[in-house]
Parts: sequence; C-alpha cells; structure tokens
Amino acid sequence: MLIEVFGPGCAKCQMLEKHAKQAVEQSGGSHEVVKISDYAAMAARGVLSTPALALDGQLKFQGRVVSSDDILALIKG
Amino acid sequence: MSHPASEWIAFRLFRLTPKTHLGEAVAFFFYDVPKVLLLLTLVVFIVTFLQTFVSPTKVRDALSKRRAGLGNALASLFGIMTPFCSCSAVPLFIGFLRAGVPLGVTFSFLVAAPMINEVALGMLFAMFGWKIALIYAGTGVGIAFISGLVLGRLKMERHLEGWVQDALNAPSLGEIAEEKPTLPERLNLALQGVKDIVGKVWPYILAGISVGALIHGYVPEAFMAGLLGKEHWYSVPLAVLVGLPLYSNAAGVMPIVEALLGKGAALGSTLAFMMAVIGLSLPETIILRRVMRPRLIATFVGVVALGILLVGYLFNAIL
Repeated sequence: MLIEVFGPGCAKCQMLEKHAKQAVEQSGGSHEVVKISDYAAMAARGVLSTPALALDGQLKFQGRVVSSDDILALIKG
Repeated sequence: MSHPASEWIAFRLFRLTPKTHLGEAVAFFFYDVPKVLLLLTLVVFIVTFLQTFVSPTKVRDALSKRRAGLGNALASLFGIMTPFCSCSAVPLFIGFLRAGVPLGVTFSFLVAAPMINEVALGMLFAMFGWKIALIYAGTGVGIAFISGLVLGRLKMERHLEGWVQDALNAPSLGEIAEEKPTLPERLNLALQGVKDIVGKVWPYILAGISVGALIHGYVPEAFMAGLLGKEHWYSVPLAVLVGLPLYSNAAGVMPIVEALLGKGAALGSTLAFMMAVIGLSLPETIILRRVMRPRLIATFVGVVALGILLVGYLFNAIL
C-alpha cells in the first residue's frame, strides 16, 4: 500500500511521518511511506490542514497527528 | 495583593524583603505560574473539546460561494473557533479559493483565525472577566470583517503567486470523508490537546510570566502610565510596534497583559499590544509569502495593523 504524509515540514508533520513508518514496521508488510511537502500537490489533493495522511490515494486524516496504532488499524483495514 | 503561598515562597523561603523590586517580582512569578498553568489546562481542554465539532472542511463548505458582506461576517465568526496552525495557512488558503470562497472572504478568515485566538479568549475571560473577553472577540471580528471587505474590494487576485493560480485551476482529486467522533473520542481528543499544547507552550508561559514579573517588580507606575497611558497619542502605535516583531503563544502574553494593566497602562493600548503579538506574526507572514506577492502581503499586514491601531484608539477613547 502507498501511505502519503502531507506536511510542509513542521514538527507535527515529522511526527506523523514517524508514526506512519512505525505502523508500517509493525504491520510487517511492504508498504511505502512518501512525504509530500509541496503546497501545490497538497492543494490538488484537497488537503485543507496539515498534517494529513492518505492511504492508496485516498485522504484519511487531516489536521492532527494520529497515532501509529490508528495508522496500523487503517493498513489492516 | 495578598497571596499567602507565593508570598511564603518569596519572603520566607527565599528570604526576600516585601515591597522591594526583587521581592515583588519573585512573588508575582510564583503567584502566576500555578494560576496561569491551571487556567490554561482548563481552557485548552474546553476549547479543544468544542473544536472537535468544527473543522476547516465544514467552514470551507459553509463559506463557499458566499457573497461579500455576509461571507466576511461568517468567515470572521468562524475564525474564532477554528483550530488553526500557521503551517496550515497555505493549504487552507488554496483550498478555500478552490472551493469558490471569494478572496476577500478568505482574508476575513485568515485574519480572524490567528487574531482571535480561542485560547487567548478563554484566558482573558478567566483572568479579567467577560467584558474584556467580549471586547477582544468583538473588535477582532470587526477587524477581520472590515479588512476582508477592503481586501476583497481591492481585487488583488492578480497578486497571488503564479503557481497558486495554476493550482486553482487544476482538477480536484477527491475529498476526505468527515470523521464523526463519539463523545468519549471527543473527550480523549481534548485530553490529547491539553497534553500537546500545554506540553509545548510552557516555556513561552514561563518567559511571559518572567517578563510580567519584571514589569510588576521593577517598572515604576508613573513610567508605564506615561508610556502607555491613554492621554498620549503615541501609546497605541508604540504598543503595536513593540508587539509586531514579538512572537509568543497566546497564553504566554497573558501575564504581560496582567502586569501592564496592573501598572496603569491603558486598556486600548494593552489590547493593541496583545493583538499585535498574537495576530500578526513573522513566521506566519513568511509562510504566506509562498502564495502572495510582496504587494499583497504588505497590504494584508498593513490593513490588519491599521485595524489594531483603530481598536486601541477606540478603547482608549471610550473607557
């Protein structure tokens, strides 16, 4: 699965990226975590507040740092 | 002031002499630290809980395709409660414009969101009473309303950076489904908010209380009343000029406000100072520079600063 983390690089965005990587590690699967910090790309995806997270192209969370457990639950479906 | 615990710490534990500069400053510090931290915890909990009911997506949808006037009024009111972090300013700005929110209405929101800080509002209410809190919220909404109207009239769309105009015309790639948290989830989010915010802003608060304590202990009343008293025309611009480059968390500036008012600074000047510190910050301006050309940024900062000046003069005149 493709996990995208949207954020310009503030502390919260880095935290979310870390949580996403932790969740991927715990899941044991081969998922890719991509960080997107370009504003135009964010806007095109409908991101209104950062940090935000998308799974396989679908926006899932925005405006807060979700825990690695929440992301893990999302990966497992 | 008589506050047994802080006086015990300052005058017994540290053996300082009451009524001396150092003694009074230290007593102020130990009186304010627990008070401000406790109030902040309470205020952040309530505010974060209420904020789980508002989201930028909902605000955007409510403002989309609104006309100037009503749109500006709604945007200014929404700005009070919407959770807003300056690193979100750019995606939010573009997202609003894409959804058909007019530029002037978007500006009303961008002015109101940081200027009427929801935590500052709660802290003002808790520390100084509902009248001052209401003045703060009312004038903030007024400034946001008028500056958005003015900026909308100036037709500044062409002063957006080129890539923003491209982004506005790019096709949309889908929307996020709104989350609907349950009550326990909302309470949990509120607790999380307390941990995040109080854990992050306490250095600002200690810094603010230290400055407040120095003012309380060392600055003579006549000096402060002379500088920031309402009878001087320069007191309001001076307060704004000093406040502009200062960047502090909303809670951090409260002890300074407390000390200034205690030393006879006029309410209008003090409010102007507080709004300049909270509402116009250098980091946010730098972030917004990514989407706006210098002329638009300068107009934005200029209009807001002018609004704050007017508020200062207005309250110095009527109170």
